[in-house]
Amino acid sequence: MLVELHLLTAAVYLAATVAALLGLALPAPPAGRVASVLLLVGAVVHAVAFTSLHAATPPPPLTNLPAAASMMAWMAVVFCLLLMLRGRLLGLAALVAPLAFVAVVFAGERLALQGALPPSAPAAGAWAHLHVILASAGFALLGVAGLAGLLFLAAEGRLKSKRPAAWGRRLPSLEVLDRINVVALAVGFPLLTLAVVAGLLWSRTLTGRLWPGGAHVIGLLAAWGVYAGLAGARFGAGWRGREAAASALVGFGFLLVALLGAEFVA
Amino acid sequence: MRILLVGLNHRTASLPVRERFAVADPAARLEKLVTGEEIEEAVLLSTCNRVEVVATTRRLEAARHRLRAFFARDLAGGRPLPDGLSWEAALYEYVDSHAIRHVFRVASSIDSMVVGEPQILGQLKDAYRAAVDAEACGVILNRLFHRAFATAKRVRSETGIAERPVSVARVAVDLSRQIFETLRGKTALLVGAGEMIEMALEALRGEGLGAVRVANRTPAHATELAARFDATAHGLHELSELLARSDVVLTSIGGDRPLLDATLFEHALHARRRRPIFVIDIGLPRNVDPDVDRLDGVYLYDLDDLAGVARANAEDRRRETVRAEALVQAEVERFDGWLSALQAVPTIRHLRARAEAIRRGELTRGASRLGLDDEQRQGLEALTRAMVNKLLHAPITRLRRETEREEGLAYLEAARVLFALDDPDAPGAQADGEVGRPPRDE
Repeated sequence: MLVELHLLTAAVYLAATVAALLGLALPAPPAGRVASVLLLVGAVVHAVAFTSLHAATPPPPLTNLPAAASMMAWMAVVFCLLLMLRGRLLGLAALVAPLAFVAVVFAGERLALQGALPPSAPAAGAWAHLHVILASAGFALLGVAGLAGLLFLAAEGRLKSKRPAAWGRRLPSLEVLDRINVVALAVGFPLLTLAVVAGLLWSRTLTGRLWPGGAHVIGLLAAWGVYAGLAGARFGAGWRGREAAASALVGFGFLLVALLGAEFVA
Repeated sequence: MRILLVGLNHRTASLPVRERFAVADPAARLEKLVTGEEIEEAVLLSTCNRVEVVATTRRLEAARHRLRAFFARDLAGGRPLPDGLSWEAALYEYVDSHAIRHVFRVASSIDSMVVGEPQILGQLKDAYRAAVDAEACGVILNRLFHRAFATAKRVRSETGIAERPVSVARVAVDLSRQIFETLRGKTALLVGAGEMIEMALEALRGEGLGAVRVANRTPAHATELAARFDATAHGLHELSELLARSDVVLTSIGGDRPLLDATLFEHALHARRRRPIFVIDIGLPRNVDPDVDRLDGVYLYDLDDLAGVARANAEDRRRETVRAEALVQAEVERFDGWLSALQAVPTIRHLRARAEAIRRGELTRGASRLGLDDEQRQGLEALTRAMVNKLLHAPITRLRRETEREEGLAYLEAARVLFALDDPDAPGAQADGEVGRPPRDE
């Protein structure tokens, strides 16, 4: 049942991706509306799948990468849906939906292989949950900031080239994309910081030491360091526009490498 | 019933020719047009790019002559066309499905000088309203125009024919919306003046642009422009400070070298914490140093850039007309089907009248012979009515369905023969006077 729910979620996200791309390619608005509805349906089914997963395998399996990736994808979709309430953000949906699809397929495939997700690290009650939830939320927001940065660079490149494409008119304005970057960084970075603190406390509860070591911890701290630099540049040095977009995209790339690298090493 | 369209447009007649045919009060002309026997219904469309009459008639040749005379005598006053243009070259004519297609293409702006322009639909609606007011519209043109409006809506929403702007002013608005989410609360700086820059400013204000500041070399000119645009007047020495406070900058001022350079914009960007600036430079020679475009957060478009975007957009619109034509063709076929089916109406009415006359006659005779009371008579009345309706249901439904196709019109003839509708001695023929004989097209 868990695998089926994940597959259903993946199918809905894939359909949302197709609808969002059609919405960008075609002038008629229905495809865009369908994409929004599908993304919403996907988020609901995803939440059901996640709840079932939580109920099915005690202790909660949040502390391994497939489950965490699935949760990040869900949070990114929810954040994207909230943003879509405020304006024409089909372009963002066209990027978030396929990534969510990949994350859910990854989690579903692991479920199919292993029957249920085994905890990859010892679970330790509230701190472990808090750490994973905060880190997932922070990474989801920063991931959306990176995708918004990608859209910004694409749209700005077309504007600067003096050959604005038809699909560019259906992208969010540069102003909105820049605002997403600010909001995501302003909320995502503190969440990531709290995730680091919760992780350290989890380690102390478990081992009596604040520094547990390991690839996962190094990756998380490196990602935190990169985002600390980005937040400083954005809010301290006043970066915005192209600089902020490019750095958010680089940060997102680093985040993916850190997460996948830690999993590979583990 | 036939549909006939006669007219001229920007492709067949130059502006001086079209001017001669412009109609200020179409209602009065239409009233006169439909009082004759040749034309049953008519709509007159008169815009700066076309003058057309679409009419329905049972006498096609007579209507053709009447409409040509209408153009030559009533509209052109009997004078020959200017520039030696012949009437054959100036006037075009479309009949039946060709006329329907033309009306749908005009409504959808496929036939416009600027493909996809939105004004034509409003003008067509005005023309239709004038025809309705003049009581010149009947069943067919009412339906034709409503289908034309629906087709235009479909074409606009399902193709990109009207999606991308093709005028410099609208391109400026479109670009601004790709930079800023909204122009509400945004401020503009107008440096210099000129027709094109003022059109662009008006278009941006139409989208909600906020405060406008005007800077000019001569204070008097700045004050005059500021009064016109409800703006504040400034001198060119304030440019640095004004740039820092402006989201949109429009320039068109004389001078042999750029007035605004990269250093000026660097300072402005720093002062406004790198919020973006959209610059429209329509000056010739250019007022803004092209190096400014290299700065992050400045989006500079000069006249060539804007015209290039407008040209590319126009080309895109032309490409979209292929899809629009397919939609129009589907709608034409649908309307053609309805029009064919309409030809069945007099025969169906005739058939019902005959059946009803027979039923009533037999009922009257039978009731008096049997000596029925009122209640029994009412029962018999309901019974016979139900029988007639059930008997006629299948042939009438089939007639309606078949006559939606041109080939199905043979069913009409067959029905008339089988039910002897054209035989004045057939039972029930006394009712023919109530419905009248169906008119035949010439």
